[in-house]
Amino acid sequence: MTMPFELIVGAWVATGLTLLIFTFLYKDNPLFKLAEHLYVGVSVGYIIVKTYDTVIVHLVVKPIIDNGEVALLVPVAIGMLMLTRYVPKAAWMSRYAFAFIVGMGAGLAIPRTISSFILKQIEDTVRPLLSLAGPDGVTFSMNLLNPASNLNALIILFGVGSVLFYFFFSIEHSGAGKAVARTGVIFLMISFGAGFGYTVMARMSLLIGRLTDLIEFSDASYGRPTIWLSVLIIGTLIVLGRRTKPTPPEV
Amino acid sequence: MMSFSERMLKIDRRIIFLVIGLCTLLPLLYPVGLPIKISSEVRGVYDHIESLPEHSVFLLSIDFDPASKPELYPQAIALLRHAFKKKLRVITMTLWVSGTGMADQLVTQVAKEMGKEYGQDYAFLGWSPGGPAVIINMGQDLSSAFPSDYSGRSTKDLPVLEGVRSLKDMTYMVSLGAGKPGVEEWYVFGKDKYKFEMGGGCTGVMAPGLYPLLRSGQINGLIGGLRGAAEYESLIGQKGKAVAGMDAQSATHFAIIVLVIMCNAFYFSLRQQRG
Repeated sequence: MTMPFELIVGAWVATGLTLLIFTFLYKDNPLFKLAEHLYVGVSVGYIIVKTYDTVIVHLVVKPIIDNGEVALLVPVAIGMLMLTRYVPKAAWMSRYAFAFIVGMGAGLAIPRTISSFILKQIEDTVRPLLSLAGPDGVTFSMNLLNPASNLNALIILFGVGSVLFYFFFSIEHSGAGKAVARTGVIFLMISFGAGFGYTVMARMSLLIGRLTDLIEFSDASYGRPTIWLSVLIIGTLIVLGRRTKPTPPEV
Repeated sequence: MMSFSERMLKIDRRIIFLVIGLCTLLPLLYPVGLPIKISSEVRGVYDHIESLPEHSVFLLSIDFDPASKPELYPQAIALLRHAFKKKLRVITMTLWVSGTGMADQLVTQVAKEMGKEYGQDYAFLGWSPGGPAVIINMGQDLSSAFPSDYSGRSTKDLPVLEGVRSLKDMTYMVSLGAGKPGVEEWYVFGKDKYKFEMGGGCTGVMAPGLYPLLRSGQINGLIGGLRGAAEYESLIGQKGKAVAGMDAQSATHFAIIVLVIMCNAFYFSLRQQRG
């Protein structure tokens, strides 16, 4: 089965740009700069075209012309006020648009954020340290792997309390306070460690993704772009390296 | 003269790049097939989809762009395959304008592979501007947030959206997010307000920040990074690119652990030499 032409072209472009970006691992060079600028340019161009097509054409012009939805002219007018920033004498008008956006944004975000991230999280943090078992007994579950166990509730209580104390600067961290603040630092370090571990995993995943594509594109059905372009790019780097070698100063 | 520890601590960083590169490349060329353990957070999403009856409405928000493709694309493929296999009505969309073309290609590719018909079994609504405002708008009136789908067809005429007026009519929703807007925005402006069941998928970098939402039950499952995608691929029994990358992931993690230990050993050895 022959590969469609556009897939072959796509494979060559993707391989070339990946290898150009990878050349930065050797050292900063014009090939890397070329790929970097292409990435920025293509991304911005794509976003402008998609935004124009979706917003201006499909959400504004077509509904007004085809369906007579003239009410849409109100948000359009508010949006147009933003452009007055480019005319110094009329720049004050843009404040109305900004006031609308800031007011609406704050009004939408504040209650929802308080509900979702503060109240719900406090509710989850304040858990009973002992569980009721039967009519007249209490138990303490020690299972670390169960997020709902009493032991985990205790660890969270210690963690939240000590970290909050660490960021409480109104009293000196000495004596017992120092021990609590140190415990807070340990909890913070564990949290940063987990974050760093996940970050390493994410970055390695990106490398795996690119290498998987490079291996796939080394196949004969694509015309082996990985091999040919690797040779070409290494050759170019050697030539560029020789051309930019510093000449010794004349005596 | 420099001691061995000193020379090792001043090693050319390109040698480390080469070691990491080889540790990634070799397992991809010669896979070993290390076992993959399924975590409870990934199983949470899988079990919920598995429990849904046929023709339930499943909303997948593809909130990432090609920069996060290696981690989130395999997650999206696995979720779509599972949803199509369960004969759910699949509604897809994106809150990221830069991911629109990629999302369209993804949905079309998996639907074609599973023999699904556009409009009847699934739809791609495309992108609409506003981020969180789009979610609120969808919660009030879906057709006002998306008057037409990505191909320009009126959303009111799509059979797959029959009876779906707002987010309240979604049986289950998963956001695959690489940042903002993403999983958090879907929870804050969507689930918390319009009360529907929700799961999440994210890049590895974001996963630790979303665990509090998981623990408190605000989301019922979380697929984190390529590892999460590999677990989901194993659960649905269709191993793909994520599973193939797990050997390389383990090898690079091992190499990084060894490098960290060596670096610390050389550092303390040098400190001891200097007294």
